[in-house]
Amino acid sequence: MNSFEEINIGDTLGPLELFVSKDQCRAYARTMGMGEGAGRFTDDEAARKEGLPGMIIPGNMSLGLLSKLVTDWIGSSNAWLTRMSTTYRVPVQPDHTVTIHGFITNKNPEDRTAEIDVWMENEESERLVTGTATVEFRK
Amino acid sequence: MAVNYDPALINKVFEITEPVEVKAEKIQRYCAALGETNPIYTDEEAAKKGPYGGIVAPPSFAVTFRNGRHFFENVPRFGMRGFDAGKDVEFVAPIRPGDNVTLSSHVKEIYEKTGRTGMMVFVVIRSTLKNQNDEVLAHIDHRFMNRP
Repeated sequence: MNSFEEINIGDTLGPLELFVSKDQCRAYARTMGMGEGAGRFTDDEAARKEGLPGMIIPGNMSLGLLSKLVTDWIGSSNAWLTRMSTTYRVPVQPDHTVTIHGFITNKNPEDRTAEIDVWMENEESERLVTGTATVEFRK
Repeated sequence: MAVNYDPALINKVFEITEPVEVKAEKIQRYCAALGETNPIYTDEEAAKKGPYGGIVAPPSFAVTFRNGRHFFENVPRFGMRGFDAGKDVEFVAPIRPGDNVTLSSHVKEIYEKTGRTGMMVFVVIRSTLKNQNDEVLAHIDHRFMNRP
């Protein structure tokens, strides 16, 4: 990754295009030990009974994917993701392609941090999950 | 109309969970579920040469710890439907395999906001993750939205 000195406001991260399958969504829910009440993350029928269009991806999984965009960018450097904030705007459905974007909005030389807007879009460019991340470029 | 609640609710820790051991295998499964390939999370040999001297969990692993048996019983509600509106996570230190993690939770704030769809009440619960050495690993703010 670039050093703190080399990054600029307006630089982009990604985009990271992902097809999240229903099986991947179920694998996440299983790994997390989501039990009772997790039907909306594992089963279309259960999700429809709750008024959803079908299975949805857990909010925490979206947070994990948005974080991945940033940690992919960090790579194996010692920069540290210090903060990730997410807002769940629209339910994210599996078996669709989503694209994750990032954009550097601020750079603070005093504490060597960068602020990054991150968001997940569907095929119609609708923003499903939005967020902000802070990365500290440790020396 | 201001939202009414008992101010004694704020900052009172309502639950500390039993310690949960972070198993290397769980980090692997988490990485697989997210399609994670960064060697500092997935490859022990490569991770040894990385900034943390060994495998660490991806930062977002912090949100995977169970909130404790009484968590939802302690989230104040305002007689309305509740939704998970989002999270605000501060990652303080890496989570490593073998760590024993506890969560303590308290109500951080309650506020109201009027949006496109009318009045909403937000309840923010802060959970703090610590390891066996009492070091803070992360603070997680859960934002719950209540709407009529």
